[in-house]
Amino acid sequence: MKEVYIAGVAMADVGRHVLDPHELGARVCAGALRDAGLLPREVEGIATTPHGYMADFRRFPSQRMADYLGIAAGFMMDVDSGGNSSSAAVHAACDRIRLGRIRSCLVYAAQREVPKKEVQKDVLGHFHLIKAANSLYDSYQAAYGVISPLPFYAMAVQRYMHRYGIGPEDIARVAVLLREHALKHPQAAYGEPLTLEEVLSSPLVSPPIHRLESSEMHDGAAAVVLVSEELLKDRSRAVRVAAVAEAHDPTNFVPYRGEIDEFPCVERAAKAALAESGYRVEDVDVAEVYGAFAGLELIMYERLGFFPRGEAPAAVREGRTTHGGEVLLNPSGGRLSLGHPAYVTPLLEITEVVRQLRGEAGERQRPGAAVGMVHTEQGFINGSMVMVLDKVVQGG
Amino acid sequence: MDTRPYMQDRAAEEFFSRLAEGKFQSTRCAACGAAHYPPRVVCPECLGEDLEWFDLPREGTLLAFTWQEAAMRCRKPEVLGLVELEGIGNVFTRIDAAYEDLRIGQRVIFDTWTSPDGLVLHQFRPLKGG
Repeated sequence: MKEVYIAGVAMADVGRHVLDPHELGARVCAGALRDAGLLPREVEGIATTPHGYMADFRRFPSQRMADYLGIAAGFMMDVDSGGNSSSAAVHAACDRIRLGRIRSCLVYAAQREVPKKEVQKDVLGHFHLIKAANSLYDSYQAAYGVISPLPFYAMAVQRYMHRYGIGPEDIARVAVLLREHALKHPQAAYGEPLTLEEVLSSPLVSPPIHRLESSEMHDGAAAVVLVSEELLKDRSRAVRVAAVAEAHDPTNFVPYRGEIDEFPCVERAAKAALAESGYRVEDVDVAEVYGAFAGLELIMYERLGFFPRGEAPAAVREGRTTHGGEVLLNPSGGRLSLGHPAYVTPLLEITEVVRQLRGEAGERQRPGAAVGMVHTEQGFINGSMVMVLDKVVQGG
Repeated sequence: MDTRPYMQDRAAEEFFSRLAEGKFQSTRCAACGAAHYPPRVVCPECLGEDLEWFDLPREGTLLAFTWQEAAMRCRKPEVLGLVELEGIGNVFTRIDAAYEDLRIGQRVIFDTWTSPDGLVLHQFRPLKGG
């Protein structure tokens, strides 16, 4: 099996974009290829995701981009599995490169949502998008009018707080910390500091979740270039994919059996990735975690193995997850404060961890970061991908 | 504007039409006896297609509850929750009570509810002394 390296990354600002997602995509693809020192004619694979959730569906985006950039690919894939889409594309690209079928692959995502205000102004004109959002859930969930997973996440956070005796401040504090992290990120969607009082006094959107504990669906774009050793142009900046693993539970949004705040797929994916990489969770210096809500962020820290169950809130309170702590979690600001274009998010996470391992994270840099982790999820954390990255370069 | 939820299979159609008659039922496999919730058209245990309808328990335990703001129906202050039916699983449902009056672990009982757009759905309400 061949080693896989991440040779190039690029991202657009997270927030609102007016550019067509195709142009946004072309710009980040060009940026990641320049970062990797590759030209489109050296690219042997391309994969991407749809352009949004509340957005009109435009099919075959990767074929359009291959034409636009002039990529004669041996691997092409459009993936739609929610928040895990671009990470599933990265996983598939890694396997193709490991097998020696291709030597390089460009994975990108570009997302532009129909602004909420436009939907509210003309509900009838956007009714097909609202119905499509409702039909994400099975008939027994959809019948209750659900168009976002918020109520499901709210119930999971309620169970978590109930089971481990966790108070509202413990949940709110992680939102404050992620905002502190984001203030060091020039491309983050949020640039204003946040206090615990502001989080706790923001309206409840689905109790116990406050508005400022809930990520908004943003626009954004990012690309990563994966290569085998033959196409690695700059060894000093190369980041190796030490392991990548995926695990899915037999659930679609709310689990019909058992506890709803367990998310066993996260632990399975993390254990599998760590075992394959040869690292222990204690070896991880920096990680980007897919927590779309403050409470879920804490649960993810625990399921990934960083802290025992019920103990992530104390770890956050004690500064163990920030700069100077034992592991730097979501230095980008995470989904809550970097911003959350869900199709792009996994590539934003990879971009952050790659920059950390290269020592190019500026003010956000964790000194000497050598081992990184990326966690992504789909649906109601019905499936997860965990990737372990390091700086080990063969023959270098 | 058709606001009715889509029906993913004939089991869903059947489930909701039985609900409209006051029946709270799901499927069981005639071959292996496995009970399913939600109902199926094939048995996930043995892949049999000979399924029969049986009565679900009408009492359960409230696992969690919340409300939603943006939705096609059942908006705030209406409450949604998850009810555990012993031996069956978790039912996502409307809860016929104010959010403030509920607590985790409370015993609840089945009822039907007709939405303003004419759907008959299930809901649960707290049992007195539960």
